[in-house]
Amino acid sequence: MTLLAPLFLLGVLAVGLPLWLHRLSSENPNRQQFSSAMFLEPGEPRRVLAKNLQYLLLLALRIAVLVLLALTFARPALQGAAQAMLEEDARLNLIIMDTSASMRHGDRWERARQAALDVIAAAPAGDLLQLIAAGRTARVITEPTVDPASVRQSLNALVPDYSHLDYGEVMNSVDRMLRGINVATQVHLITDLQRTSMPTRFAQLAAQAPLTLEIHDVSRPGETNWAVQSVTWQPAAQEAAVSVRSFATQAAERTVVLELNGARAAAQPMSIPAGGTVTASFAGVELASGANRVRLYIEPGDDLETDDQRFIVVKRPEPRTILLISADPTRRDAFFLTAALEAVNGPLTVVEPVTPGALRERDLSRYAFVVAADAGVLAPADAGLLRTYVAGGGAMLLGLGQRSGGLDAVPVTGHTFLGTTQLGARAGEFTLVGSMDTTHPALAGTEELRSAKFYRYTGLTPAPGDQVLAALEQGPPLLIEHALGQGRVIVFTSSLDRQWNDLPVLPVFVPLMAGVSAYLAGDLAVQTEAQLGNTLSARAVGLAGGQIFDPTGNAALGIAAGAGAEVLLDQIGFYEVLGGGVTELVAVNMDPNESDLTPVEPNAVDRWRGLNAGAGAATADAAMDLNPAEPTPLWPWVLGLLIAMVFVESWVGNWHLRVRRGIAA
Amino acid sequence: MSGQVRAGLPNLLSPEVLASLSNLDLVARAAVHGFLTGLHRSPQFGFSQEFAEYRAYSEGDDPRFVDWNVYARTERTYIKRYLGETNTHLVILLDVSASMAFSSGGVSKLQYAKFLAATLAYLASRQHDAVGLIVFDEEVRDHHRPSSRIGRLHALLHAIDRAEAGTGTDLSVPFERFRQYQSGRGLVAVISDFYCDPEAMLKGVQPLAYQGQDVILFQVLDQQELEPEFKESALLEDMETGEAMEVSPIFMRSRYRERIQEHCDALKKAAARGGADYQLLRTNEPLDAALRNYLTFRQRRG
Repeated sequence: MTLLAPLFLLGVLAVGLPLWLHRLSSENPNRQQFSSAMFLEPGEPRRVLAKNLQYLLLLALRIAVLVLLALTFARPALQGAAQAMLEEDARLNLIIMDTSASMRHGDRWERARQAALDVIAAAPAGDLLQLIAAGRTARVITEPTVDPASVRQSLNALVPDYSHLDYGEVMNSVDRMLRGINVATQVHLITDLQRTSMPTRFAQLAAQAPLTLEIHDVSRPGETNWAVQSVTWQPAAQEAAVSVRSFATQAAERTVVLELNGARAAAQPMSIPAGGTVTASFAGVELASGANRVRLYIEPGDDLETDDQRFIVVKRPEPRTILLISADPTRRDAFFLTAALEAVNGPLTVVEPVTPGALRERDLSRYAFVVAADAGVLAPADAGLLRTYVAGGGAMLLGLGQRSGGLDAVPVTGHTFLGTTQLGARAGEFTLVGSMDTTHPALAGTEELRSAKFYRYTGLTPAPGDQVLAALEQGPPLLIEHALGQGRVIVFTSSLDRQWNDLPVLPVFVPLMAGVSAYLAGDLAVQTEAQLGNTLSARAVGLAGGQIFDPTGNAALGIAAGAGAEVLLDQIGFYEVLGGGVTELVAVNMDPNESDLTPVEPNAVDRWRGLNAGAGAATADAAMDLNPAEPTPLWPWVLGLLIAMVFVESWVGNWHLRVRRGIAA
Repeated sequence: MSGQVRAGLPNLLSPEVLASLSNLDLVARAAVHGFLTGLHRSPQFGFSQEFAEYRAYSEGDDPRFVDWNVYARTERTYIKRYLGETNTHLVILLDVSASMAFSSGGVSKLQYAKFLAATLAYLASRQHDAVGLIVFDEEVRDHHRPSSRIGRLHALLHAIDRAEAGTGTDLSVPFERFRQYQSGRGLVAVISDFYCDPEAMLKGVQPLAYQGQDVILFQVLDQQELEPEFKESALLEDMETGEAMEVSPIFMRSRYRERIQEHCDALKKAAARGGADYQLLRTNEPLDAALRNYLTFRQRRG
């Protein structure tokens, strides 16, 4: 226990007053002169004793009230047990273990563990020890303690992960940890001193907190490593290209193996020059339907096995059909639209035209999405069908062309028309795109849209919840995303042919249609690769909810968790997301920076040490003020006790005075 | 109806009223006049200027009281005597022991005793009786032999006034002194709280009775001594011996009251056996009862 305002304890001296008064009172306990003691006889001893006890009780209560009052002002608080056990010359030994992926190389981790044990053994009895694991972030493994056994136990349970270490971040974390601690601190950084772990700015290695830095280098000269640096997939050619890099001073012969869904599919021998990079290609890979697990690795492996492989998820493109509602069976009214859709989606995409009257004969769930080039051709019955389709999870692109002019509201979405604006009456009259949300996936790479000229458009008021993706210069929306049930509709407030604008003949029309169609088909929603240390949720892969399994097959997220629940990606391999009968895969790979074992130059290490040397010695003799955690305040409890004590004292005192008042003078 | 007051007037015999008077002479006068004012003509007491009898003049008699009409007719000198005039002497034995200083809030027992002594002296002086005084505690503190000389009363009142509470009580000492200096018959008024053994008191009184003295004992006590009210244990200190004793309120309400009552009864019986009168006076009561008792006593003597 500690006192935040100990000076108030001087108030305890006030107990002298009741002591003095009680002593005075004891010396004259109702002493009265009486004519004669001839007829008197002493009272019963038991009654006298009871009276004395009552007197002592009142005195004790009064002293307790004063002590509690002083204690309340002194603000008592519970401090950590460690501080209570500290000796005056004790110091804090902060052991930082590098747990980045490179520490898995050979027996580096074992050497690092031994170095940490040596530090623990060398620490004088009474010194504080604290263990920190430094990977992507710094984690406190043990709180400061004087018990070496508990630190050893925690150290033995510690293993390196797959993350990348940044020494700048480490020093920053140490600063934050030592904030408010005024005790001599010796930081033991046990690491392999990778050059790739150095921060961008050297100054980041200087800690603000007073400390002495000791770096324990566990790397050894001449250590070699070969790593699969990158893998790229060419969908058109069904080809995987893999780069293997050497971090060794000698050439090596390796075989690159392509493993597809757990089975060895292909292999290529390669000669890797010293410090060089070799690329190999695997063409004509026969993918299975849906998401495929593709692992590329080199054999034989080396001392750092985790970077001898790389994981990617490859989806086999499925044939998709887009339903185009056109009043003209020859699709001349949607010529540009059809051409653009077929161009961006390749031979696997089929644009299937249908007249509005034949819409009810089609099974709309078969289509990736539906396009209506001009909403004016849709009869109310057709609009009802489409509305049901979209609300059930479908998607639609809706243009407002020439035939939409006579409508009161937009079919399917129900937006109210504000009228059609005609700007093309005189030559040179047009409007441009004033604003656009380029962060929206449907508009990625469509900056050229600003050059399109619009002569006519239909005014709409966006409904609540609508997202305006692009708007014209005067402010009316051009592209609106409207959510309807589980599906969505993108409304284009001008025509999708050349009659109201020149967009279809501009090059940007193709990427715009590509983005819109990819967005509506749900292609962009699926994430297949993620960074180590990031989080993953079912929503991120386009699912409303589901279970997530880590690369070892263990459930990282239960089925009861919501779609927004996230899992920390701390392993490499394939994370599997299951939900709604769909299985999605996300590949997680090791940070390539960890593959490069090149050590930091010795002079840089010396400069680093120099930045943090001796600062701790300056405070070695400082008063102990280790305050790693906020002390738990006790004064509210003391205050409660004080109030209770005041009530009891008042009651006892009042009873006592009542009796005294009753005594005859 | 004696001792009562007229409507609207304060009771001049009340101890509180007397205590407000600064001069003991005034106290005595006020008390006596207050008493006499309320005293109706009563054959029982006969204190007046009513003719009682003639007596032959003898040497030493005051010539003022010679009935010259009778002398003119008979050429013999006769003294005209009135009721209440018996030419006796009164000796007041005033106890000024420490216990007499006790007070529970009003006048102390000593003050009350002084009022009574002064009033008796004044009353006796008006009746032409010689008045004497012995002030005592363990010893005789002051002694004035009986005298009816003019101006003697003032000296006596002054002696009463200056009396202060002393130490313990020893009744044998004043009685012994009285016997040494008093030969003729007379009245002896003993004013004390009588915190003594009744038998010891009897031993002092009885010889006086044998001498032919008429003794009246005025026991002056405070109400708190007779019926103490305590609600908590208290440490009581004897004013004479200094002995302290913690007593319980239960004891003071029951056993103590019985004991003091038994003591008073024993005193009364002892007084009766010794041929003395006894009267208990409470300090919160007017002096009427005491004066009335004295006059009755005086008349019997006369």
